[in-house]
Amino acid sequence: MFFRLLMESFLRQRRRKMLAGIAILLGTTAVTAMLALATTIGDRIHKELAVYGANIVVYPQADLLDVKIGGVDVKPATAGTYLKESALSKLKGIFWANNINDVSPELPITVPVKDPSGKIVELPGIGLWFHHALTSAPDSIVTGAEKLHPWWKLTGTWPAPPTQRESSQVVVGTTLATRLHLHIGDTISTFFPLTDADVKMHHEPPAITLTVVGIVSTGDETETRLLLPLAAAQTISNRPDTVRRVEISATTKPEDAFARKDPDALPAKQREIWYCRPYANSIAYQIREAIPGAQADQIRRVEQSEGNVLARISGLMWLVSAAALLAAGFAVSAAMATAILERRGEIGLMRSLGASKGAIAFLFYAETGILAIFAGVLGYLIGSGLAAWLGARIFAGDGAASHIPALNPVLLPVVVALALVVAIAGSTPSIRAALKMDPSAILREDA
Amino acid sequence: MAHLSLTGMLRRSLVHRRARSLSALVAMTVSAGVATALLTLYADLDAKLHKEFRSFGANIVITAPASAPLPPGTLVQVQQAAGPEALAAEFAYAVATTDRGTPVVVAGTDFAAVQRLDSWWQVDAWPNPASTDTALLGQRAANFIADEHAVTLTFAGRPLTLRGAGRLTTGGDEDSRIYLPLSTFTTWTAIDPSVIELQIPGGAMSVEAAMARLRQQLPGLQVQPVRQLVEGESRIVDRTHALMYGAVLLIALTVAVSVLATLSASVLERRRDFALMKALGGSQLHLMAMFLLEAVILAFAGVAVGFVIGSAAAWAISETNFHTATLPRLSVLPLVFLLNVAIAALAALFPLRVLRGLQPAALLKGE
Repeated sequence: MFFRLLMESFLRQRRRKMLAGIAILLGTTAVTAMLALATTIGDRIHKELAVYGANIVVYPQADLLDVKIGGVDVKPATAGTYLKESALSKLKGIFWANNINDVSPELPITVPVKDPSGKIVELPGIGLWFHHALTSAPDSIVTGAEKLHPWWKLTGTWPAPPTQRESSQVVVGTTLATRLHLHIGDTISTFFPLTDADVKMHHEPPAITLTVVGIVSTGDETETRLLLPLAAAQTISNRPDTVRRVEISATTKPEDAFARKDPDALPAKQREIWYCRPYANSIAYQIREAIPGAQADQIRRVEQSEGNVLARISGLMWLVSAAALLAAGFAVSAAMATAILERRGEIGLMRSLGASKGAIAFLFYAETGILAIFAGVLGYLIGSGLAAWLGARIFAGDGAASHIPALNPVLLPVVVALALVVAIAGSTPSIRAALKMDPSAILREDA
Repeated sequence: MAHLSLTGMLRRSLVHRRARSLSALVAMTVSAGVATALLTLYADLDAKLHKEFRSFGANIVITAPASAPLPPGTLVQVQQAAGPEALAAEFAYAVATTDRGTPVVVAGTDFAAVQRLDSWWQVDAWPNPASTDTALLGQRAANFIADEHAVTLTFAGRPLTLRGAGRLTTGGDEDSRIYLPLSTFTTWTAIDPSVIELQIPGGAMSVEAAMARLRQQLPGLQVQPVRQLVEGESRIVDRTHALMYGAVLLIALTVAVSVLATLSASVLERRRDFALMKALGGSQLHLMAMFLLEAVILAFAGVAVGFVIGSAAAWAISETNFHTATLPRLSVLPLVFLLNVAIAALAALFPLRVLRGLQPAALLKGE
């Protein structure tokens, strides 16, 4: 009997059910979409913030002081200390390896060339990775300077890794290219470093030919340099397997008070928690552990400000989601209250036919519950789709958004439970009011 | 029997069925409140976001060509051209040697300006602006100094002893430098500032406009944008803006349709009123006006209450998130009002179309 009542109610009062259903459906759609956007906004904005470049820098621990003004080495260190290029693959072995998005080692060098009068002048150069696989594993990230500096504007192509020692491709900064009248396709000839034996024997050093394949505008001092593949720079400077400093872009959790603690001063358990959170400080700490002789620091200008912007934008999304939840809750409650209020006549009839208050309340709650579950699930699906579409449209062209799945299974129970709670809470006052009234009064009024 | 005026009928209709009127009022209040809160936040969003981006520091660097010193008075001119909102700090650089004989970059600057401009600098204690002999030691530079409390630096044979106020950590070039007050720096080295770092609030548009102004007023100086900052900021603000726009539309639409459903249900419920009035000789137009007026009154009340609640919600959200208040904006009121009246009118008119074809007699008989 109960099920028949329930079924008939759905079959015969389609319009009324539709109205309440639509309210719940739209409410859950909006809430699902907002929550789905709010939970992924951190990742999305983080990808956007990657345009600011590296947030962690690694350099040799026993380093001499940089004497740099405005990005220019005033007194280039002749015998600086170096990190091993081969040690960089260890970055993929640290705890937060998957959070490391891009790695760009650099080796500043000077490139000796002969000017037209035959005098040797030294051009500033820098060895970098371009489209370089971090490890030999097939799923290794392919990274390099061009990934970490998305604001660099290149005409031409990035240099390919050198296949032989005597020649290499090179990209020239715009300022240097203008000064030396270099164009794409031109060649620069330099030579291997002279050994003492060469000097003694008056040997002409063997030549290296650099072919210009691109001209880059960077907006900073790099414009005055030659950009070489790291391997070529190591050959020219005769420093195999070395890098001067490494820039790293990692996905991090914005710094809080706990992140600023010194891990070595924490008790073991706290230290473990600190270690297992993706703070920039923890990742830097793990890099120091992984690469011998390395010092890693967060670049505070990028890291702190990014954390700030990230926290504000995701905070805004969460608060707006909360407001949406509240508003949808009110709207659904009002719709449910109206839907029940309309059916006072039915309640009066059932009461006068001898149904207990409990049985009537149960019937109405069951109807509400079924409606909330169906509309809630449907709203979840539509809302997820909407969020995916909106996210893809707004953050188009990142390539990064594609790995965010459209359906977030955690949201389903949350959204349906919310729909249930709101629908039941919204209909309760009306059901109670209708049950309290004298059935004969309701029926007379309705007649 | 007293003459039943239109206002009397309205009043009674609203007062008599209090529960129904109240639920309609709640619905209208919610829609007005949500619209007010979102529009208020949305109107303020760009300004608020751009303000957050100020923590990235300078977005324009002004230098003299060939690292010559800037002409005297440049900072004042820059500040004038850039406007009172802009933050500017000048820097002078020299290479000195520490007490251990290591060459180190020494920079003279105005600590008060830097503290505002470079909020990411992690400093143990900012030097007192009044003192002339306190220095900030970059954390790497500090390793090359024997005594951090009495730092002795030598430039061109002239020694200078400074009190180290604390260490400076940034993770950038600043870590390898020593910063001291500009006046002390100039008297010691006789080198004038060569770089002005400037921060223009706002996105790429305002930065470019400011750069054009600066280039015009300060010919002969190099005015360079910090490219990644200018490009990134506009991108992120635009995308967040678009995201909020989508959210505002979505939520407004949801609430509007839900409210529409609720209201039209409650109007539909009054079939009997409708039939009775028609049977007593009310014309279709008359009835429409009657229902419409009732809905508009509810909408009006909803807007009044909703505006207050919505403004409070916007204020609370912005206070929690951005730590600055968003004041109520009267400019959103017309739009909110229009939206609410449209919802109310639709909710009143939609059921009337359904009821139009019904025979009053059949309805009253209960068929």
